[in-house]
Amino acid sequence: MQTRGVGRTTGSGVGHGRSGAARAARGRRSGAARAARGRRIAPFVLALALVSLLVLAACGGARGTAQGGPGFRVGLVTDVGKIDDRSFNQSVWEGVQQAQREVPGITETKYIETTDPKDYEKNIQQFTDAGYDVVVTVGFALAEATYQAAKRSPAIRFIGVEQVLAKDDQHPDWPLPNLVGITFEDDKAGFLAGALAGLVTRSGTVGAVLATDAVPPVYRFGEGFRAGVRHANPAAQLVVAYHNDVGLDRTFSDPEWGKTTAYSQIDRGADIVFGAGGKTGNGALIGAVERGKWAIGVDADQYYTVPEAQKGLLSSAMKLLTPATVHLVRAAKEGSFPPGLFTGDVALAPFHDLDGQVSADVKGRLAEIQRGLTDGAIKTGVPAVKPAS
Amino acid sequence: MTGRRLALILAAVGLIVAAAVALGSGQMPAPAIVASMLRTTLQVATPLTLGALAGLYCERAGVINIGIEGMMLLAAFGGFVAALAAHAALGDGAVGASLAIGVAAAVLCGGLAGAFHALLCVTYRVDQIISGTVLNVLAIGLTGYLSRQLFFQSGMPHAPGVLPTLRLPLLADLPLVGGVFEQQPIALAALALVALTHVVLFHTVWGLRARAVGEHPRAADTAGIAVARVRWANVVVGGLVAGLAGAYFTLESVPTFEPLMTNGRGFIALAAMIFGGWTPLGAWAASLVFGAAQALQINAQGFGLAVPSQLVGMLPYLLTMLALAGLAGRTRPPAADGQPYDPHEAQA
Amino acid sequence: MPAEPSPPPPPPAAPAPVSPLLRPVFPSSERVVGALQTALAALAVPVLAVVTALLVGGAIIALAGRDPLLAYAALWEGCCASPRALSETLVWATPYIFTGLAVALAFHGGLFNIGAEGQLALGALVAAWLGYALPGLAGPLPAAVHLPLVLLGGTLAGAAWGAIPGWLKARTGAHEVINTIMLNYVALLAVSYLLNGPLRDPSPLNVIARTPEIALSARLPRLAPDLRLHAGLLLALLAAAAVWWGLYRTPLGFAIRAVGANPAAARTAGMPVGGLVVAALALSGALAGLAGAVEVAGLNYRHELGFSLGYGFDAIAIALLARVHPLGVVPAALLLGALRNGAARMQFLASVPVDLVVVLEGLILLFVAAEVLVRRLYRLPPAGAPLVFTRGWR
Repeated sequence: MQTRGVGRTTGSGVGHGRSGAARAARGRRSGAARAARGRRIAPFVLALALVSLLVLAACGGARGTAQGGPGFRVGLVTDVGKIDDRSFNQSVWEGVQQAQREVPGITETKYIETTDPKDYEKNIQQFTDAGYDVVVTVGFALAEATYQAAKRSPAIRFIGVEQVLAKDDQHPDWPLPNLVGITFEDDKAGFLAGALAGLVTRSGTVGAVLATDAVPPVYRFGEGFRAGVRHANPAAQLVVAYHNDVGLDRTFSDPEWGKTTAYSQIDRGADIVFGAGGKTGNGALIGAVERGKWAIGVDADQYYTVPEAQKGLLSSAMKLLTPATVHLVRAAKEGSFPPGLFTGDVALAPFHDLDGQVSADVKGRLAEIQRGLTDGAIKTGVPAVKPAS
Repeated sequence: MTGRRLALILAAVGLIVAAAVALGSGQMPAPAIVASMLRTTLQVATPLTLGALAGLYCERAGVINIGIEGMMLLAAFGGFVAALAAHAALGDGAVGASLAIGVAAAVLCGGLAGAFHALLCVTYRVDQIISGTVLNVLAIGLTGYLSRQLFFQSGMPHAPGVLPTLRLPLLADLPLVGGVFEQQPIALAALALVALTHVVLFHTVWGLRARAVGEHPRAADTAGIAVARVRWANVVVGGLVAGLAGAYFTLESVPTFEPLMTNGRGFIALAAMIFGGWTPLGAWAASLVFGAAQALQINAQGFGLAVPSQLVGMLPYLLTMLALAGLAGRTRPPAADGQPYDPHEAQA
Repeated sequence: MPAEPSPPPPPPAAPAPVSPLLRPVFPSSERVVGALQTALAALAVPVLAVVTALLVGGAIIALAGRDPLLAYAALWEGCCASPRALSETLVWATPYIFTGLAVALAFHGGLFNIGAEGQLALGALVAAWLGYALPGLAGPLPAAVHLPLVLLGGTLAGAAWGAIPGWLKARTGAHEVINTIMLNYVALLAVSYLLNGPLRDPSPLNVIARTPEIALSARLPRLAPDLRLHAGLLLALLAAAAVWWGLYRTPLGFAIRAVGANPAAARTAGMPVGGLVVAALALSGALAGLAGAVEVAGLNYRHELGFSLGYGFDAIAIALLARVHPLGVVPAALLLGALRNGAARMQFLASVPVDLVVVLEGLILLFVAAEVLVRRLYRLPPAGAPLVFTRGWR
């Protein structure tokens, strides 16, 4: 059957005017029909040769990639964000690498980036099939796939970052002995950051630029921040912006939006901006500092991860992902793996360059609030996830 | 592009700013809202303006270019990498030079992308939309791949920052519109290019030739104009301008590169070009409208509206469609826009 | 001016009609060879385009300091070297077949549908909603009723979303390239809003923006016990056959192709060009919507928030690789599905980022579109004329 393109048919191989003569010279000279067939067949032979070459290379190579490894190997599967998002994925990967440096006996670490939610299961399987000893999965979206994989491979330990499960109809076997979920009290970290912002603001307006609130940790950071500002400075004005208008793969990687939004909040009078959400948040930090205002970072001590913002970075609401990862990988290696749920630490980063500008009074108040949060006297009042509207 | 139409489009900008004031007046004083909206609008409109001008150069000569998105992305990446390399070589003392090198590299990348498009469309007469699509897909793939290979293991190196904000001394102190005169170089260059393009297209021989080729290539050919060469030149120039748009993203806006950071703005720029009736001033005005829509969307969350942010986020896109539907039918593209020209082919 | 010194011999005379019972089982060898040559000629450019793209891709991998042979071996292993790998490739290919058909169909009507992503997302959402909400509204339903309703709902949602740019083009002349892209964003934002709000899975432990699981009666059966391969693949193959038959054997298909070939002539001939434009884009959107519905009913059993603006361009690549022929879409979709599926293995074994697959896709697209390049490279005879779809903005 002849294929038809839109418009005109493609040539069926019979020689056309321009180079027919030259081509006839290349095929056998005995007859136009045979020359024409030669013209048609030669390229297919070439193509066939090329394809077989590739297939042979592939088969040869494939035999050489058989798995099986001695030593203790750790694998990481990311969410649909990328490994270098300077946020969850990156912090956890740095934890895995740090564990490899500090814990003797870990021979190999590797990561797979997920680009499509369809692939969560498959990517985890790459590690389980290869017999890795520990598989770390990052992000709440992988909770289901991690749980199922842990059930199927009881000999492998699974660390699920930001994956909170409980015993219910869908997870009757929880807690599994080889599965631990790391969670953080992001709302408390956000609360501290909000209190700090509320206490130091001179203009009376505080801004917050975050990734999407569909991601629970971000939601908790943001609402914790809001609660903290209200607690420390009830008269302060607060502008909070969540980046809900793009997809999950972009919400953490949109520094431009972060910067523009920070600018608009500063136009409204904010003199301190909280930037939370991977590179989106980093854009806000950079933007705020560029306009001569202060900024508060998140996740790690952003004084180090965003050097461009050093001169205005007051502090960061840290959730210590990297140390938690190191701790659990080490525990897995040393046989003290704590199944179930593991709560990591949160803290406010030191003030670095701006330390002199924070009064002792403020520092005292912060310490007080920290104590209140730890012993339960102060409640942030933030739910675990955003309530469905 | 009549003066009346231009006025109408600018009035649309005013309308959007007024809407922002109306929505936010409870939270912020009105002058602050206006100033903020104008500043953000101009900033956001910069890549759109440049992208629309890039498309304009191509289309006035009869070559459709939907690969502006890809051109901007390639330029953003290329310029960023060049600036990083220059910064590593020259050190912290020569930040300005590093950034300048980055901008030059970005413009060059855009030009190369333009040459690629011209090679496919003009020389090989591949379908222009397919060629643009190829450019987009390759750009997305290459920049994503290279940025991962280059930056992951070693982390992103210390970037030289962004281009400094320039202040025009007296004008920047004006009450409402002062923010408009406090912009970064590429934003100002965009404004200059609008004027320059207008002059070049409508008041020079070069522009006349380009427009002739876009309206009736056969007649131009008969009159002795080298159609292919003119088209090549225009597409490459369009690529250079798109390269400047790309430089905006990584050298003026934020000092970092993200895969897909252009986020569809190349297509909105195309829509701005069509909305603006294929003229430079119209393209600029249309970019301002879309810029204002995005500025409204950015500010809307702060106004405490009850509307979910995703719905507000649709605003620029719905506006684009509305503009196309309402006004596209009444504007006229260059007559030979989109048709490959074969000098040897007998014309029907 | 033809270079052949003598005209080719006339084709053999058609054999006299024979009762089907008496017709030999195998056609004559000449007809086989002739058909084979025609098929091979049609395949030449796409196959060589793919091969060339792989070679260039290999060079890119090597330039970045990785091992291209290992990368391609890993790609192969990931896509085809085990039953599970093959199953996953087919799982990937299923929505690609539908969306490739969608784009190919639109191309036949002279229209450029880049909106497959949005149409698919809406189709998936509507299908998921029908899948979990319908039993609550109408009581438990037998699978024979529920499943077709679910699929139909997704199809209609996609059709409606495709009809909008079609109508805009017919009424106002606005070009569908931009409108379909804009509608992509609008659709994805709408889906995001709905998944975070009204349609969200309300179970207490759920933290993800996703719908509840669809009822058992709304699911497509799996084709093998341990694998994810599902009956959607069969539907996809059926769709390819249906689109082929519809385009080439029905009056509507003929009319659409006529509009695609020459709208002015079609108008002069009295065809309702505007209505046909709407119909073509609506049908195109319907196929993309069905892709989403099949993903929900066969693979995920719910719809979850996970953006990727990949389907739009992937579908174009598939349609072009298939020379916009509906039956050609199937192998093209399989190829792209294999690439996407194998990329994870390539990343795992050879540390090559998955973005390389996008580069490969772009290169394949390049070489298929600029077939002149391929023909020059491999000394193939020039074609009659390249595929041209653009007719300017009007």
